[in-house]
Amino acid sequence: MDKNIAIEVKELSKRYRNTETLAINHLSLEVESGEIFGLLGPNGAGKTTIISVLCNFITATSGEVMINGINLKSDADNIKKIIGVVPQEIALFPNLTAYENLRFFGNMYGLKGNILKEKIIQLIKTFGLANKAHQKIHTYSGGMKRRMNLIAGILHSPEILFLDEPTVGIDVQSRAVIIEYLKKLNELGTTIVYTSHHMEEAEKFCTKIAIIDMGKIIIEGSPAGLLRKYSNCYNLEDVFLEITGRSLRD
Amino acid sequence: MLKYLASTIKDFIILSRDKAGLAMLFLMPAALIIIMTLLQDSTFKALEEKKLPILVLNYDKDTFGINIVEGLKKSKFFKVTEQPDIGEQSENELKMQVAKGAFQIGVVIHKNATNVLRNNIKFNIVQLLPEKEDLIFGDEPLLLQNAAKIESYFDPITKNSFKQSITSALHEFSSAVEAKILFGIYSSLFRELLGMEIKNKANFTNLVEIESAYASINDEVIVVPNSVQHNVPAWTIFAMFFIVIPLAGNIIKERESGVSMRLRIMAGSNLPFILGKITTFFVVGLLQAATMLLIGVLILPLIGLPQLIVGDSYSALILLTASVALAAAGYGVVIGSIATSQEQSSIFGSISVVIFAAIGGIWVPVFIMSETMQLVSKFSPLNWALNGYYDVFLRNAGISEILYYVAMLMIFFLICICIAWYYNMSRKEN
Ligand SMILES: Nc1ncnc2c1ncn2[C@@H]1O[C@H](COP(=O)(O)OP(=O)(O)OP(=O)(O)O)[C@@H](O)[C@H]1O
Ligand SMILES: [Mg+2]
Repeated sequence: MDKNIAIEVKELSKRYRNTETLAINHLSLEVESGEIFGLLGPNGAGKTTIISVLCNFITATSGEVMINGINLKSDADNIKKIIGVVPQEIALFPNLTAYENLRFFGNMYGLKGNILKEKIIQLIKTFGLANKAHQKIHTYSGGMKRRMNLIAGILHSPEILFLDEPTVGIDVQSRAVIIEYLKKLNELGTTIVYTSHHMEEAEKFCTKIAIIDMGKIIIEGSPAGLLRKYSNCYNLEDVFLEITGRSLRD
Repeated sequence: MLKYLASTIKDFIILSRDKAGLAMLFLMPAALIIIMTLLQDSTFKALEEKKLPILVLNYDKDTFGINIVEGLKKSKFFKVTEQPDIGEQSENELKMQVAKGAFQIGVVIHKNATNVLRNNIKFNIVQLLPEKEDLIFGDEPLLLQNAAKIESYFDPITKNSFKQSITSALHEFSSAVEAKILFGIYSSLFRELLGMEIKNKANFTNLVEIESAYASINDEVIVVPNSVQHNVPAWTIFAMFFIVIPLAGNIIKERESGVSMRLRIMAGSNLPFILGKITTFFVVGLLQAATMLLIGVLILPLIGLPQLIVGDSYSALILLTASVALAAAGYGVVIGSIATSQEQSSIFGSISVVIFAAIGGIWVPVFIMSETMQLVSKFSPLNWALNGYYDVFLRNAGISEILYYVAMLMIFFLICICIAWYYNMSRKEN
């Protein structure tokens, strides 16, 4: 059976202005439709940079990106509609309420009226924020903000969802809700690209993993496959340390 | 369109929750207007009442000379001192007084000025008549006499532009006196030859008023507004430009919080967001202006100050205010786009607005600045705005007369937007 490629990256490089090193270094990868693809790597490995290029927030120095067969460089407008992004930072207006934030972002996706309203109410309920919907975001706890940050990225039901450390700094309950929901989305057909420093979570959650360092993929495969390959390692964390070494990063 | 509207609404909500920011935008200028107007009230009064000391030497002592001296005395603009005629020496004495700076202007009306004038008028009349009538005014044929009637001397430190306006004012004024004499000759001629009396004599004699000359002096050099007419528009403009700080802060906050990343990914272009912000702060600018002008009209009279007079042309006032609000919003956007941190933008924003205000004549009116500073002031958008308001308030200017300032402010706005656009594009490339 012919595989459906959601994301195809060829020889991608990114050098930030006024820097010497490549944040992405001739990187190639493929993500199949319906996959949960984990980008793992130490701090400064280039995960956020990769996601930023893939969703056309910054432009690559060289290389090619195709999303659902559409070239990112020449047809970014059509890609915008099918992707969703959950940034590493909380990207919400702190002085607007949850509802106001989501209404605004929904409008940005062209959603409006009752359809938008129902979608917002449904998502807010799912993530346990219903009774705080009309409070300003800056009064939220870290976990609540993370959940809101996620909702804002999936309001428009994207086909491909990029998540940059969606579960960083939150409690077990919030983490469980988020991972459960993402799994459900994935079952409904959403392709997910996700970064994390949480190896255990990635091991359970991802269907495929790429470990990157210094802008390059060191190794990729399914979690089970990687563990098989490094049979001396007990879990993914060991694999990670084995591959990327123990030195500290910027 | 949906993006633009949603964006505008969002910025309105955010701004309306920023109580400190709103207080700065509305209470600060209100306080400044009241305080500065009170402080400067007496200074402006002194400025307004200051008359130019002028020394006049009248050798003529006939219709022309007497009329000129009377006219100058009647004018609110000059403080006339007459130099006694003690013969030849008098003129030298006058020149010395002026050179010394005791008087800013010295005017000498030459001996026989009236006679020369009469002679030349008669000569001109004779030229028009058939040859046999050339002795109509007497036994001897008339000759054109070439003599200056009036001469002026200036204090050496007087500015050139000022000299010119005074000279042309005097010239205009003396022409009016000439016209009066001309009328007198014609009317006696008519009476003699035709036995007719010319009507409306009164109208003609009243023509001689220094006011016309006075007005032209006003136009050229000095418009002296009172404290209210200066301070209300001045601090209104200042406050409108102070939206730079919340506006630029808003842009940077969004950029730093990652919201702008989300927005850029969603919308591609950030034009709708920028337009939304400009709209929001544009409306705030209009509200500020309306509030401040109302303070000038309603509140200031209550505390013993003159009422603000806003002129006749509301359309000009609205057009001008709208362009000031746009220029200020544009400036805020450009600072928000260039600055890399909140601190940077609020420091640079406030200092640059204060500098623009200082050179633009907000603190100290331009007309009492040195000539160099007057030139420098032309580079401040706040100065264009202030001049526009002066024109509307003090000269009853309509739309066509303030179009220059409106155009300058709009060009400033467009340049700001282009620069901001460039910076936003290059951020993506980094
Ligand atoms: N705007 C920028 N300008 C210059 N260099 C940058 C910029 N953003 C990131 N970098 C550099 O690019 C490299 C990759 O950074 P990136 O943020 O992609 O790493 P990351 O894998 O997301 O790290 P983390 O796990 O800490 O989020 C780092 O060396 C970083 O210093
Ligand atoms: Mg990162």
